Amino acid sequence: MRRILAELGLGVRLAFAGGRRGGIRTAMATLGVAIGAAGLLFAASAPVMLDTRHQRTEARSDYVRGEVIPAGRTTIVASADAQWRDNPIRARLIWPEVPDAPLPPGVPAFPADQQMYVSPALRAALAGPDGATLRRQMPYDIVGTIAPIGLSGPHEFAYYAGYQRATTLVQRGSWRVDRFGFPEEPAPGTGTYVLVAVLLATLLLPVAIFIGAALRFGGDTRDRRLAAIRLIGADSRAVLRMAVGESLVPAGLGLLLGTALYLAVRSQIARFWLFDISVYPSDVHPVPVLAVLVVAVVMALSAGVTLLSFRGVTVEPLGVLRQAATWNGRLWWRLIPLVASLALLYPILLGRTDLGEERTGAGLVLLIAALVPLLPYLVPLVARVLPGGSVSWQLASQQLRRNPTGSTRAVSGIVVAVAGAIALQSLFGAAEGYRYGPTDPADPAFLLQAWGRQSPEAMRERTAAFERVDGVRAGTVAKYGLIGGDSYVGYLIVGDCAALRQIAALAGCKPGDAFTAGRVGRTMTLDISDTEPVAGPTIPVPAHARRATLTGTEAGSTGPSVLLTTMPARLAGVEPSFVETRMFTTGEPADVAGQVRGVAAEVEPLAMFTAMVPEADKFGSLRTALDIGSTLIMLMMAAGLLLDVTARLHERRRILGVLSAVGARDGTVIASVLLQVAVPVVAGLALAAGAGAVLGALLMRLSEIPIRFAAATILTPVAVGAGLVLVTTVAVLLPAIRRVTRTEELRYE
Amino acid sequence: MSALLVAEQLHKTYGTTTALTGADLAVHAGEIVSVMGPSGSGKSTLLHCAAGLTAPDGGLVTYAGQDLFALGDVKRSAVRRREFGFVFQFGQLVPELTALQNVALPLRLDGVARRVAERRAAGLMDRLGLAEKAPARPGELSGGQQQRVAVARALVTGPKVIFADEPTGALDSVTGEQVMDLLTDAARATGAAVVLVTHDARVAAYADRGVVVRDGRSSSRAGVR
Amino acid sequence: MTIATAFLALLEDRPQHGYDLKRAYDQHFGSDRPLHYGQVYTTLAKLLKNGLVTVDGTDGEGGPDRKRYTITEAGVTDVQRWLAAPEKPDQYLQSALYAKVIGALLTGRSAADVLDVQREEHLVAMRELTRRKRAGDLADRLICDHALFHLEADLRWLEHTTTVLDELAGQVRR
Repeated sequence: MRRILAELGLGVRLAFAGGRRGGIRTAMATLGVAIGAAGLLFAASAPVMLDTRHQRTEARSDYVRGEVIPAGRTTIVASADAQWRDNPIRARLIWPEVPDAPLPPGVPAFPADQQMYVSPALRAALAGPDGATLRRQMPYDIVGTIAPIGLSGPHEFAYYAGYQRATTLVQRGSWRVDRFGFPEEPAPGTGTYVLVAVLLATLLLPVAIFIGAALRFGGDTRDRRLAAIRLIGADSRAVLRMAVGESLVPAGLGLLLGTALYLAVRSQIARFWLFDISVYPSDVHPVPVLAVLVVAVVMALSAGVTLLSFRGVTVEPLGVLRQAATWNGRLWWRLIPLVASLALLYPILLGRTDLGEERTGAGLVLLIAALVPLLPYLVPLVARVLPGGSVSWQLASQQLRRNPTGSTRAVSGIVVAVAGAIALQSLFGAAEGYRYGPTDPADPAFLLQAWGRQSPEAMRERTAAFERVDGVRAGTVAKYGLIGGDSYVGYLIVGDCAALRQIAALAGCKPGDAFTAGRVGRTMTLDISDTEPVAGPTIPVPAHARRATLTGTEAGSTGPSVLLTTMPARLAGVEPSFVETRMFTTGEPADVAGQVRGVAAEVEPLAMFTAMVPEADKFGSLRTALDIGSTLIMLMMAAGLLLDVTARLHERRRILGVLSAVGARDGTVIASVLLQVAVPVVAGLALAAGAGAVLGALLMRLSEIPIRFAAATILTPVAVGAGLVLVTTVAVLLPAIRRVTRTEELRYE
Repeated sequence: MSALLVAEQLHKTYGTTTALTGADLAVHAGEIVSVMGPSGSGKSTLLHCAAGLTAPDGGLVTYAGQDLFALGDVKRSAVRRREFGFVFQFGQLVPELTALQNVALPLRLDGVARRVAERRAAGLMDRLGLAEKAPARPGELSGGQQQRVAVARALVTGPKVIFADEPTGALDSVTGEQVMDLLTDAARATGAAVVLVTHDARVAAYADRGVVVRDGRSSSRAGVR
Repeated sequence: MTIATAFLALLEDRPQHGYDLKRAYDQHFGSDRPLHYGQVYTTLAKLLKNGLVTVDGTDGEGGPDRKRYTITEAGVTDVQRWLAAPEKPDQYLQSALYAKVIGALLTGRSAADVLDVQREEHLVAMRELTRRKRAGDLADRLICDHALFHLEADLRWLEHTTTVLDELAGQVRR
């Protein structure tokens, strides 16, 4: 036991005293482990993060699911949820029915009428640029701040306003609660876990490859050293233990650094948000079991990579024997992951989306991983196909054919990163384009549905109020539900010609005209109830009514209807089902959304306001994060490639030196080394582009988005990958090659 | 007196190259034996086999009555660690460790606590006149100094046999003599036998007797004279 | 190098008596074969006759052998000439050993045995020289080294000859 510890300890010592190359190797491996460990720790924290967030949102939930709670020790709540740019606003108008009525979490006391408690983020936004526009949505006096316990995250926009009028609207926009904390089912995040799996695979595979490259760097020196130790009496297992001990140093240091990185990001995590999710630093801590698992995985991984590197290598006292690994170019086992992933994913290609997240995630991760074994097969193939000729190409192609695994190891990281980046970028790009495009060009950008009796004047006034916002055209109609005989009947819709034209295609319209859309009878009976149909007055359908066709989504959702340009006298006392105001924009809807929402809130805070188009780029922040992430991974991969190529140069420096000595021009030698790097990179990038496109298509299918690609989303990661490789090789490698080819290197041999 | 280390009828081929075709070697306790021969004669292979570093294809190597290659790697490594010492031409010191740590290494491999091992190593280096080189790393030492450190390391476990393969091969003649003086004096002082492989007759002249290897066979005068 | 030249070199350092000359010669040049007094005085007599040395005085109470010798200008020139002229490289073509090898081959005996015996003899001599060298001072070491290097050269010739014996045998028998 003591001996084993001494051997491990010696290995640790060797890691620290490895000279310059050893130092680089330890530093790089440490960095790789740190990034991987930090990533894993965050992954291990995700359940806690989502859990605590869910706990808090559930604790404040007032979602009664249609249950009618009788008055008593109750609070009346009404939702005025809204949106400000890309932040959803959780807005609650509340009023206690008794002094000790239940109080929502995070609020110290009930706000008085027209007063409110706001979240810190909302308070900041109100004080920020254009805060006055936002203020129109919540014209209440701020009397305090909602405590973190009442918020889903530090960036949530939320307020609780005292709103006495809510008492008059119970069951018509407001409702009673006898407590806060109704059970809330977590929204089924369609594809979220699949996305996370793809993200993690894209991150962790390159990290593992990078660690491998870092540990291999200077491996020849280490092997010779171990042989020297073997000579003086260490047995073969002792030598392996030393190598493992040596690899534990970057693993341990990497874990420490990774933890530091994790803590650093965690302390700043309140600054970031993704979609509308933001978290408090205190919410971020790993599940203990998973944290232990992370440590174990990292340690096992580095030891495993080390032991794997001894595969086919025997450290003998007199030197290191490498089994002449005759390149076995058999294809079949390299295809296993690909075939397996395609078998898992095949139904998606056929259009099914209900496969189950485990299966989809496994399939996608396998598809990414399948690239790694395929690349070494592809490279000799390319080397064989390309026409020969120059000496440098002859040297390079022989090396590529004889040892394709060695030549492609570092490149495979780049390939994985590029493929992942292409897939995710294409998905988000397509999703964005899809969501931004109007579902139906005839539909408005925004729709306000309010209640209350209406007069034509009031409706005109409401339209005008919205049209005072620059670039907005609006129209207001009153919709009265109809009770039919057997068949479902739609609405009686009353509005001026301009407003009706926004709903239906009319062949000419002047005040007093009437239209019918679909089959309606001679008379119509109004439904005057909110819930169960209650027959109200019956009025005739005007005989002169002409035919019209409903347009946009209205055509599908509204049944056979009657459209009137003048309000019949008998309707004056009847409250319509909705008063709908449609708002069309001439420019970007997002530009006027804030003002339109302000106007809507002034009209009726409890009215339903629907944005038919997104007001902000939902995926913007995610794509930025992805850009930064993939750039970092690419940089890391470039560093890994550099390490790998430098190591190979070092191993072959004698041969290269001899080549120069016998009179090969520097250019020839340099070209052969560059070709050795370039060919796997080009082949790999081609493979990555293909795989990335397939992956992206699969993800789009899963998200039920029409499959489409932009050239830029595919070419950008490819170009970035190629560019990085070019820059690293030219800027850093060329001097190294020059040094190697200087013939005085020979005298050391 | 029977020999401490006996190699009999060793055969060894590397691929198509035949290195040994029935070579013999007997080493008695405390004697210095030189193994000479032209390059490619198989003298290094003979040493490697006799030291248990390379398994011969045929023949027998016995050390203190034990068949070396019948032992497993672990036990054979232990014999190497405790009973044998090695001084090679170059590349034997671990560049990451100081001279002192290099000398202490065989003890530490044998499970001796670090402080004890380094104290013993320091004592030995002091006796061999290497005390001031103790904190230096191999890269900071001249070739001769490195070889003397290697000699110290070969001696630190108190071995019964020291195998030296061209120990002066990379050195000039004066430095080479210093190393040979140190090696043979120390071996005589501790009673260790030395197997000295060299192509240099002047180095071989440090031995008590010589064996000549030619074409994979040792000369008929391999015995004691 | 002759004894005469050695005496001249010793006298150029400083004038000395015949007895001192013998001692100095034995120390520096003649470790294998000490000089006889007879050799000393015949040599000195020849040098006197040729005018390369002179006698610059006698110690009063001593006998006839208490003469002190001094080098002359001609003597110094002689030393100079000796040192400046390279030794003629010996061509060991007809050396005894070569003759033995040829003899063995001619008579159908084993030339390899001849060489092996000779090698062992050389090695024994080298071991002995190494032992002596390690016991002596720097001068001893250099003298022993000289012999060692020569023996080593011989050994290399032996080694080389061994590898071409078959070829040589073919030529000798033709």
